[in-house]
Amino acid sequence: MSAVKNNYLENKVAVVTGGCGGIGNAICERFLREGAIVYAADIAETAPRGPLFQKHDVTSEESAIALMNRVHSEQGKLDILVNAAGIEIEHTIEETTLAAWNRIFAINVTGTFLTSKHCLPLMRDAGAGSIINFGSYDGFIADPQLAAYCATKGAVHALTRAMACDHGPENIRVNAICPGYIETPMLQSFFGSSGDIETLKQEVRNVHPTRRFGTPEDAANLVNWLAGDEARYASGQLWVLDGGLSAQVQQMRL
Amino acid sequence: MSKLNTQRLEGKAALITGGRQGIGRAIVDRFVAEGASVMTCGRGARPIDLPANIEWQTTDVSNLQNIQALKLSFEEKLGTMSILVNNAGVQIEKTIIETTDDDWNALMGVNAKGVFLACRELIPAMLHGGSIINIGSISANTADPGLALYNASKAFVHGLTRSIAVDHGPAIRCNAISPGWIMTDMADAAFAVANRPENAKADALTRHPAGRFGRPEDIASLATWLASDEASFATGQCYTLDGGMTSASPLNPRLF
Repeated sequence: MSAVKNNYLENKVAVVTGGCGGIGNAICERFLREGAIVYAADIAETAPRGPLFQKHDVTSEESAIALMNRVHSEQGKLDILVNAAGIEIEHTIEETTLAAWNRIFAINVTGTFLTSKHCLPLMRDAGAGSIINFGSYDGFIADPQLAAYCATKGAVHALTRAMACDHGPENIRVNAICPGYIETPMLQSFFGSSGDIETLKQEVRNVHPTRRFGTPEDAANLVNWLAGDEARYASGQLWVLDGGLSAQVQQMRL
Repeated sequence: MSKLNTQRLEGKAALITGGRQGIGRAIVDRFVAEGASVMTCGRGARPIDLPANIEWQTTDVSNLQNIQALKLSFEEKLGTMSILVNNAGVQIEKTIIETTDDDWNALMGVNAKGVFLACRELIPAMLHGGSIINIGSISANTADPGLALYNASKAFVHGLTRSIAVDHGPAIRCNAISPGWIMTDMADAAFAVANRPENAKADALTRHPAGRFGRPEDIASLATWLASDEASFATGQCYTLDGGMTSASPLNPRLF
């Protein structure tokens, strides 16, 4: 790894929802190294080491307002919002209950809507802003038994473009990153625990042109670029980061 | 503007085709600022304003002998290549029925065959690890009127980008950047064919959520990230950088 100076986000204030999760935590750590003031906003009970912590239920409008009130009173502005909070449920639609469907939409879609909606006044105070949503390569192509998850990510993709169109003239950029297979607890859950998981995982790695899964740090590398002024012309885009997986057609094993 | 990361390309040797002006030149300048050793090329003589620490090789990328000479010159002067930016490109403002065979050879020779030849000749020397960045276009996905062969040539670039990523990973990462309207001589030429160029320019500007056209430096920012180890999981993608233009419908009610 070549030398990277750690002041890319100096004087910036950032909020990361899901900041205690696998990818969210890596983003918080990266932002801190780059000199930002970072709030990890998460449903978790215990504060992570490093960033400031605000307990935040992304499905609650009151929670979004309380989060932004705190950032406003402590910092007076917000430059960066990363909507990283998200869940996955491993079902076909037939196995998906209405309650489970509503819950995943409440977290993945409504959560992105509410936190973004209430951050806008603070970004206007900053004079500019960068919002980074979490889409997924599953928003373009489906993995089996992830129906509701795929649908939420498609919704986040469309919302990302719409927000970019509406708030671009106010100097607020909106992008989504669309990760493929990233080594997180969520991925572990997707693979399950029965059978020869290690062999399966190795086979999946080998389908990737990079021959590996992504790491939370890989995702943080892209989020970091999008968050800062280097990406000042990037808006309204869905940035797939998947080690080349979706550049291929289906890999037949003949 | 917060401080930029610097020296992210330290110790890397990079070749950028078409570095005389515009986007190519911005990438050359930025890579040098990031610590890379850089060679660039173009069809004419060395530009008089090119700083002395940047190597120049007069090259027609559509010519195999020229590409082979470029490879030898690079290895002699800068050693092992780890970054290749296929930026050289030309544009012809014609529909398909106006396009001559000579137009085909001129445009496809540079935009398609040039990328093919550079990759074929240079990939074998990059298998220790490298990043290839091709300049594609938003016109590869949705057509700009009156640019038939140009649009098609950029779709070729996107397709080849994915193939290189799939065939030559993990040693080589390959991505494309799809610029939107970047204010270069090439963009001015596209506006010039409109009935009222000034109106066309104002209309195009309104379609950008970012409120401005792109600058060559914007593309250089993304090229730097893709060239660096920060992007080690990014491959096979065509990343659009267009100030939000293509995230809106082409029928933009704000204009009515």
